[in-house]
Amino acid sequence: MLRVLFAAALLIAPAAATAQPSIATNSPVPLSTRVVDYNIDAKVDVSRKTLDATESLTYRNLTGQPLTSFPFHLYLNAFQPDSTFTSETHFSGGIRDSESEDTYPDRKRGSIVISHLEADGFGDLTPALHFASPDDNNPADRTVAVVDLAHPLAPGDSITFHIRFHDQFPESVARNGYKRDFLMGGQWFPKLGVFWHGAWNCHQYHATTEFFSDFGTFHVALTLPRNYIVGASGVPNSDHLNPDGTRTRSFYAEDVHDFAWAASPHFTLTTDTFASSLGPVQVRVLALAAHPRAGPRYLSILLGAMRQFEDRFGPYPYKVLTLIDPEPDSEMEGMEYPTLITGGTAWFEPTYLTELTAEHEFGHQYWYGMVATNEFEDAWLDEGINSYTEVNVAAALLGRDTSALSLPWLNLSDLGLQYAAYLSAPNSDPVTRHAWQFRNSASYGGITYGKSALLLKTLEGLLGKDTMNEAMRTWFQRTRFTHPTTEDFLNTIEEVATRHGRTTGKISNSRPLDACFDKKHGIGIDSLHCTQNIPWNTDSGFRPFFQQAVYGTATLDYSVDSIISTPVQWWNPDDPGKHLRDTVTIRRLGDFLLPVTLEVRFSDGTRIREQWAPTGDDNDRWKTFTYLRDARILSAEIDPDHNLPLDVDTFNNSRNEAPHRIPALKLTTLWLTATQLASQLAGWLI
Amino acid sequence: MKNPRSLLLEGLSLTLRHPAAFLWTYAFNLGIALLFSLRLHSQLAALLNHSIAAERLNSAFDLGTLIAATNRLHHGSPTTGSASYLGLPLYFLVYFLLVPGTLSAYQSATPARLSTLISTGIDFFWRFVRITLITLLVSAAILGPLLYFQSLWSDHVADTYTGLSSFLHLLPGILLLALIAALLRLYFDLVEVCTIQQANQTPPDRRIRRALLPALRTLAHNLPRALGAFLLLTLLGLLALFLTARIAAHTLAQPHVWPLFLLAQAGLFLLLFTRFWQRAAETIFVLDNPTTAPTFPPLRGTRPHTPDPQPDPEPAPPSLSEPDPGVFHHDPAPLPPRR
Repeated sequence: MLRVLFAAALLIAPAAATAQPSIATNSPVPLSTRVVDYNIDAKVDVSRKTLDATESLTYRNLTGQPLTSFPFHLYLNAFQPDSTFTSETHFSGGIRDSESEDTYPDRKRGSIVISHLEADGFGDLTPALHFASPDDNNPADRTVAVVDLAHPLAPGDSITFHIRFHDQFPESVARNGYKRDFLMGGQWFPKLGVFWHGAWNCHQYHATTEFFSDFGTFHVALTLPRNYIVGASGVPNSDHLNPDGTRTRSFYAEDVHDFAWAASPHFTLTTDTFASSLGPVQVRVLALAAHPRAGPRYLSILLGAMRQFEDRFGPYPYKVLTLIDPEPDSEMEGMEYPTLITGGTAWFEPTYLTELTAEHEFGHQYWYGMVATNEFEDAWLDEGINSYTEVNVAAALLGRDTSALSLPWLNLSDLGLQYAAYLSAPNSDPVTRHAWQFRNSASYGGITYGKSALLLKTLEGLLGKDTMNEAMRTWFQRTRFTHPTTEDFLNTIEEVATRHGRTTGKISNSRPLDACFDKKHGIGIDSLHCTQNIPWNTDSGFRPFFQQAVYGTATLDYSVDSIISTPVQWWNPDDPGKHLRDTVTIRRLGDFLLPVTLEVRFSDGTRIREQWAPTGDDNDRWKTFTYLRDARILSAEIDPDHNLPLDVDTFNNSRNEAPHRIPALKLTTLWLTATQLASQLAGWLI
Repeated sequence: MKNPRSLLLEGLSLTLRHPAAFLWTYAFNLGIALLFSLRLHSQLAALLNHSIAAERLNSAFDLGTLIAATNRLHHGSPTTGSASYLGLPLYFLVYFLLVPGTLSAYQSATPARLSTLISTGIDFFWRFVRITLITLLVSAAILGPLLYFQSLWSDHVADTYTGLSSFLHLLPGILLLALIAALLRLYFDLVEVCTIQQANQTPPDRRIRRALLPALRTLAHNLPRALGAFLLLTLLGLLALFLTARIAAHTLAQPHVWPLFLLAQAGLFLLLFTRFWQRAAETIFVLDNPTTAPTFPPLRGTRPHTPDPQPDPEPAPPSLSEPDPGVFHHDPAPLPPRR
């Protein structure tokens, strides 16, 4: 309880000094530095899939320098055949719709048009609006528009833009648009870029990028037909029936950096309250009527995940969380917006993918929503960290080995899923690569989600769970409602690791004495590399690990090359072979350098653990451990505690003396059965 | 009128009277698959037999471990999977040889020895290849447009319905397609039976087109009976496969392989057996419904058949009052007494 109170105090403290009047849905004082204030009044034509709106945007210049231009994201313009988004999706693959065909249907065209733009004190700025392509100079890309001011906006001053815009929603390609009569308003309004690190950060919309925005407040009024049920970011604060058969609902959100909404006539509401340490949180699930079991499933996992996140990192500060169950095949499943997430399920879904999707998107309320990293440039900080916490939270809620699938005869863990993603592209790109600069969408997915999750699991193995948990908690507490970077994250890890004494000491060599000295025969084997120093992991902290795992593309792969037990007096035919010379040779197959633990199991029941750090002066590709004992080696295993899931081949990490043929026979039997069945089915042609 | 025989019971009886036919086919099905799985098994054994990580496939069945093993296998030897599939065309070829012999054995009541099956298969090989090509062409011509309309319907359903409702709207179209595909398969099965039948007639007729119309007439003669038996046996085979596969799946996590192997093989055996049962039932159906072969125009390149002119009658022999002693000298010995 003390920890919770402490966390609540920490949450409030940073912004307490800058208290200002507020509707205070979250807290009496702002939780974030509110840079922007959006007021949007939008009317949706559900038959034409269009939206007409007026937007009033106030921007506070807290940059400390005069500003003469303002870039706006116009994300809906990505859904044109000549946009950068579509070009990248077509040629390198998209993470949602592939756009692999050679035609671009009209129904998938989306657009956002600013018909009028003016600013208080600056007059009509519509003529000054022009498109920009800062990333690839594609003149046909219209996802970024820049307006130049006649005179600069002084530091500390504010500017209020008044915008009229028109949206044409596409049949969904990615994240927003429509599917059947379902509408998803995501990235639907002109949104300012972020003045960050001394310059505007406003990237084009790419096939593999997400978003980055300033914190602020949103007042949004949405007018839709009365039969449409609406879910949106923030809390509803008014509801008005119009004489033309429509209904206007207003929402307010604060300390968020985006606003999204969804509407469908087929939603059914399932709701519950989560008792956060900061007060009750209303959890609303708007599930399709076609998915009758989805509501309770979503709700159950969300309540569990919220408790896990509060216990692990800190409380969820908002008063509402809404989950939208989008139409099947809508390319809008599994998406995160502040206080609003989309799930993904089907009418028959026997796995835990429904739960994993909901858990993952809720995790983004922390890693993206509050810890608002730059998703364009540091995608791993939100998707990767979120995948890592997803693995741990899902394991806690659904079982370590069964968190993705749990049948009496078949199981799959979420970690297994992440590992599969990692193996699909283990070393094409570093995790820190800008999201649109990955080799292709497969590499983006495999690295950003899979490798990031596994490198953090490996880090957890190196640091210990408690230290890693504290590091993650510190990261959240320290950087929420800010825009931190990769270095901020790594420094936090190092700081906490240092506090726990994890970065200063050498890895202890816990090998028993009898491993180095055969007492019975008086044979010392120091000359056979019995003693060793661990040069890694000293004053440089975890930087070598970060350089390889985070900034680099090195592949981690260690293997047990051989285990051999032979008589010491091999030349003596009278020797019964009782006294054995046991050797284990391990190899470093990849170029990733990391200290590893080796466990050797002997026939007399002894287990010996060794350490090998192939770095510094001992930067070898192999190492042989030799023992003179009266027992033969039964097995040798690298990483016996399974702390290094970043290893690309876990099968060669160990070697049993006695073969176990069942696994290979099982897989062969399955393959045999499949080929027989395929042959028989082919026979039906005759 | 003689009551028609039960297609199911007589078909079963006929199948069981010629066990060698489906047993040899099953043996080839298993043997070829085994042969082409050996390389895969040796690579799996090298990867997994000595690995502690593989234990997750021993007393459990962890899908993540399976995916990782597949990845490592593909990484080490990318052609392993495709090489294993080479067994499929080989089995297809063997099946081409075994089917005609089986049908011939069913019709002629001769034992279905392997040598007989193969020699008959070689004799009928090209005829069955031609039948298969015609089957593919006709199926493409009929099912192609239907599949196109089904895809249009599917798009419409996808735009309109979701969930179970979407599935239920698609189901009738899928069932209709399956029914038409079954009907086509049944018809060309009968063409194959008629081809064998006509080849065994005197004089033999090697022309496939001579079997097309009789098969159609036979089918049209009693369509519900034939189609009913065909569909029932198809469903029976699929049901057997489904049940055994389901039970076999539950043995995946056991630290034994033999239950999985035996159950899977039982399902595959039953699927194959019901296919041969279908063939036997179709043979009974054709034999029970003989159709008059239509009169076809003569084969191209043969001369028109004109009957020989009637010769003039020979003159009557002279009438004698007694045998001519110069011609008949036979004086047979008396027969021995009967006992």
